[in-house]
Amino acid sequence: MRLPLVAAVCCLALAGCHAMSQAGDDDVQLNDLTRPEWTSADVPDDSSAWVPRQIVVDFKDGTTKAQFDRDEQAWGIDVELADQEEGVDSAITVGTVGDEQDEQALLEQIRQNPDVEVAEPLMTYQKSYLPNDPQFARQWNLTMINMPRAWEKTKGKGAVVAVLDTGIAYEDYGDFKQVPDLKGAKFVGGYDFVNQTSHPDDDHGHGTHVAGTIAQVTNNNQGVAGVAFEASLMPVKVLDHFGSGNSAAISDAIRWAADHGANVINMSLGGGGRSAVMENAIAYARKKGVVVVCAAGNNGRGVVEFPAAYPGSVAVSAVGPTGQRAPYSSYGTALDIAAPGGDKSRGDEFGILQNTIDPQDPAKSVYAYYQGTSMATPHVAAVAALLFAAGAKSPDEVEKALFSSAHPPQGTRAWSQEYGHGVLDAEGALKALKKLQGGQQVVVAERPNPVAQGQERIESGSRSAGSTTLSPLGTGLFDIDWKPLIWAAGLLAFVLLTLGRKERPGFLNILFSPGFAVPLVLTTVGVFFARWVGDPGSASVQLISLPIPEWLQKIIFGRGALASPIVYSAAIPLVLSLVAIKWKAVRPVVGGLAIGFAGILGYTAWAKAPALAWLPFTFLAIPWLVANGLVCLFIARALLKKEKA
Amino acid sequence: MKVSGKVAFRDVETGVWVLEGDDGRTYLLAGGDRKLKKNGARIEAEGDVDGDSLTSAMVGPRLVVKSYKVL
Repeated sequence: MRLPLVAAVCCLALAGCHAMSQAGDDDVQLNDLTRPEWTSADVPDDSSAWVPRQIVVDFKDGTTKAQFDRDEQAWGIDVELADQEEGVDSAITVGTVGDEQDEQALLEQIRQNPDVEVAEPLMTYQKSYLPNDPQFARQWNLTMINMPRAWEKTKGKGAVVAVLDTGIAYEDYGDFKQVPDLKGAKFVGGYDFVNQTSHPDDDHGHGTHVAGTIAQVTNNNQGVAGVAFEASLMPVKVLDHFGSGNSAAISDAIRWAADHGANVINMSLGGGGRSAVMENAIAYARKKGVVVVCAAGNNGRGVVEFPAAYPGSVAVSAVGPTGQRAPYSSYGTALDIAAPGGDKSRGDEFGILQNTIDPQDPAKSVYAYYQGTSMATPHVAAVAALLFAAGAKSPDEVEKALFSSAHPPQGTRAWSQEYGHGVLDAEGALKALKKLQGGQQVVVAERPNPVAQGQERIESGSRSAGSTTLSPLGTGLFDIDWKPLIWAAGLLAFVLLTLGRKERPGFLNILFSPGFAVPLVLTTVGVFFARWVGDPGSASVQLISLPIPEWLQKIIFGRGALASPIVYSAAIPLVLSLVAIKWKAVRPVVGGLAIGFAGILGYTAWAKAPALAWLPFTFLAIPWLVANGLVCLFIARALLKKEKA
Repeated sequence: MKVSGKVAFRDVETGVWVLEGDDGRTYLLAGGDRKLKKNGARIEAEGDVDGDSLTSAMVGPRLVVKSYKVL
């Protein structure tokens, strides 16, 4: 009697300690900010500006007509003086490369010629759209993300951005006045989830500023510019007059916005704990094709706030005018991208300037420099709107375009905790989208696998496919998540306790018999030693290093899918136990599997259940896991029972 | 609960008042009275920590101050 009880208590204590030690490990990782140096070679030459089959050859001054003619013949192309007025003096010529010639090889050959100074592809220079808003010159943030060139391609027409915030000063209604620089902006019907009215006006000042960054009326000879100024704004009030709100109202608002035609949801808000209700609402919106963009937080520390940290949302950190992360900006493993959010420690003018209401008088308009990840977020949301306007079809496509084109001011294009995939580039994102639409590949930098960093395993399963790629497993003993195994051992002790003395096999006897132990280990921690014998970076080693239920999850449903309630159930042990009724020899094997499943189901429920697919309500996930865990225990008990002699 | 720490104004977002707690956490101040808003003052506050709200300030959980004394 005593041994199983002691074993059970020890196992649960161990599980607790292990969880704590892993939390400690996270802190160390978050502070590892070493970044490799930036080299200009990391920026690919922009071949989209090249004019096909046209080259420029600049001859040395004093080159004679006779030399031109001789060289032309040698290269097999015709070069013409670019400027007939300047004549031979300019010595800059343009030539057409024949269809049968290799342009790069020919350029290389031409450069060898002693008469030639430079030879390169002919390039076109794009026009920039410069709006006439008098204070546009102060919007360093818009220049930083290449807006003038992006506006040449699109201004966001047709896209809808929902701003879930303190409201927007979008209409004259009662005490509320529309701010002048939103006069003429396009709005679609919104809602006030705080006061339950259809007049989501701003009584705080935050939401109007955020909305201004997205779609301030531009080129109107007044005030400032906005990023996607031909897009429509959907004002959705979820924060009260003090800028605070709750998860239920915000979750409702997310679903409402997704149902009412939003392409992008901007949430410059954060805090509270992890809410499965909100996580599901975001997954719902994403499934409906909505890109959800959230602020990382203003804590200045290595933890990204919720809702930014949820798998389905794009988490945004803030940078100042130099492109360095602003001191207040939160960052961390869940970060996706960085955008200008201002750094007023360098001076007020390095905040983000938009038109909003006076915080002390909602009827009064002011132009205010604010700083915060709230200010960075709408830059990304608005560029997502530009991408939709340019024909993007899905959140995956938008995120690929955003992430592949982002680049930090220093460091390589690698993903990092401070900048995610890098600093937003509106023009680059539109170019990347064009490539994607043409069937070309774009490169999204790899990011560390959350599993390897000791986060809850379920998080990796439900993380959006677009933002997760493989990275090598950690090879330390504590990089393995032992908790499901410890849970299983504890539950084994519990099952044995429920058996009568005569029917009960010894705890250690059972635990160390290979027929039982092997399926138990595979079910809870997978082939955990594969990382020491195989290549920890390879996909197959990573797959078999997961518990069996996750193999099935990944093989059947792929990455990115929500955890399936069939895999996370007693179904597999139940089916196999039918086999074991006939063949006594496989009983310990199926018993080990059943205990393993009970361990992983129990641990998953205890570690705040995941959002299971197909279940209409998140709160059903925990009862589902617990009930199936109990069925597993019952199966195991039946199989492990010793036959009475 | 009781939290002691330093009152500070932080110029993020539209501007926020926080309590930099001696427990190492930063609280977004709420409640109390307007005299609470003294940059640099050391106080001991009695109040409820609201860990559920989401805010535009995003600096930490709200501390709804019921009473406080200046240290």
